[in-house]
Amino acid sequence: MIIDPILRGPRGRGGLRRLLPPVLLAVLLVAGWTIAAAALNSSVFPGPGQTVDRLLLNLDATRFQESTADTLLRLSVSWLLVVAVGGAIGFLIGLSRFWTDVFSPVVYAVYSIPKIVLFPLFLVFLGLGEASQIGFAFFSGVIPMVLMTLNATAGTPLAPLKLAASLRMGTWPVVRTVVLPAALPAIATALRLTFGLTFLGLIIAEMFTGVSGLGYELLRNVVLAQMEDIVGGVLLIALIAVAPTTLLRVLEMRVARRFGGGDV
Amino acid sequence: MSRGAMSTGIPRYVRPRPDRVGGLTSTGWSILLVVAGVLTVEAASRLGLISTVDLVPVTVMAGRAAELVTDPAFLTRQLLPTLGLIAAGFAAAAVLGVAVGLLLWRSPWWSDALQPYLNIYYAIPTFAVYPILVVLFGTGPVPILLLATAFSVVVIIANALIGFRSVPVAVDKLARANRLGRRAHLTKILLPAAVPDIAAGLRLGLVYATIAVLATEFILATRGLGHFISQAYHTFHTVDMYAGILLICLVALVLNLGVGAVLSRLDWRQR
Repeated sequence: MIIDPILRGPRGRGGLRRLLPPVLLAVLLVAGWTIAAAALNSSVFPGPGQTVDRLLLNLDATRFQESTADTLLRLSVSWLLVVAVGGAIGFLIGLSRFWTDVFSPVVYAVYSIPKIVLFPLFLVFLGLGEASQIGFAFFSGVIPMVLMTLNATAGTPLAPLKLAASLRMGTWPVVRTVVLPAALPAIATALRLTFGLTFLGLIIAEMFTGVSGLGYELLRNVVLAQMEDIVGGVLLIALIAVAPTTLLRVLEMRVARRFGGGDV
Repeated sequence: MSRGAMSTGIPRYVRPRPDRVGGLTSTGWSILLVVAGVLTVEAASRLGLISTVDLVPVTVMAGRAAELVTDPAFLTRQLLPTLGLIAAGFAAAAVLGVAVGLLLWRSPWWSDALQPYLNIYYAIPTFAVYPILVVLFGTGPVPILLLATAFSVVVIIANALIGFRSVPVAVDKLARANRLGRRAHLTKILLPAAVPDIAAGLRLGLVYATIAVLATEFILATRGLGHFISQAYHTFHTVDMYAGILLICLVALVLNLGVGAVLSRLDWRQR
């Protein structure tokens, strides 16, 4: 009758065998997709083969290449700004418990607004071009970056601070040797999470406006009902998202191992 | 460093947090920040620093928002459909999320198989599939509902799973010793133990469902609050646009606070 996976004890399996289920699942899904597409045999439901072929074809075309390059450039610029600006603001506020208590509720309130509805403001003040796309992507990522960095910095444990005080350390050495290392694991997590949020903001901005970019290509193809192009585009976007996320996850685990951290 | 610190010799970083800075408590400063922001917008617009084509005074936004809320046509065509879609998408995601969380907890194979995908799910801009759904199902409520459910379900799954896994081994051994049946184990141990985490997941899920509905309406739809704002933007109805944005901010805030209050009542860990 009973049930419990925990009671079976630790699953003593190697890394390779752990990889088997997700890979198997992916194979099953692709197989299901292929069969469904073959059975329906419809132009609005292309199979994986057709989609990849079309994507490769698109990637040869100059206009699509430019769109991809535009998206990548905008994504890098806005994410780097998110990390630099959001990280710095969050860290500075987090150093003071009083100002953390002042800013937290305000930033949380802004965070709970669905940001997309503020997008017209970016169009009004930054114009219909690239500036408002980068601006909106930045805005999508920077608020969570500030929040997470602020929480990480403000959450520095008291014991090492007391130790530093009894050693009569100055404020800046303490910030460098105690506060920053304590905050780093959570900041590494924030890097990964804000990357996804920034990308999401950018794709939405490109879908709503613009003359280039992968988000724009997707929506343009809806009007043309080019399903193969759309699915190919989604595939490319997923690939662009997954590669840096995987690298950032590795970084996150390294930082956690080096400086200690909760959930890895 | 101030003189007080020098005389007592206590470094700044271990001194207790002051109750007041400049005569105001932290709550006072928070309110001051918000009020200053609102007043800046009001003044910039009233004084003509920013043209009324671009920005209108907050009082005008609020007045127009109040008009809209009492306008039956606006209620039935824009506000209610949006709220209905958020509620339906969220409800579907809640049921599905807890069920899948339970399945993953029961089956190590599925949990191994899905875990890597759950981890990277929010790194992928989910809205990219909206065009696919529109081509398949048209511009009605179906693609919006599907996307809202898909966007909010994963955070609910992840949190439910954390909750189910939080049951201490000793409790499970006790249940086993007492020959607790599968059903009793679920209702007496598993669900009560997981309720705080499930509540946290639901709270996030509601935010995600709201974002998904408004964003899809905003990008491509024929009605709804998101569509209303994008339409007002495209037709240069600046007052309507800001009134809509203000309404959404209020709706989001009320939903958040209301559901937050209900869910934190469920959280026995905080009692």
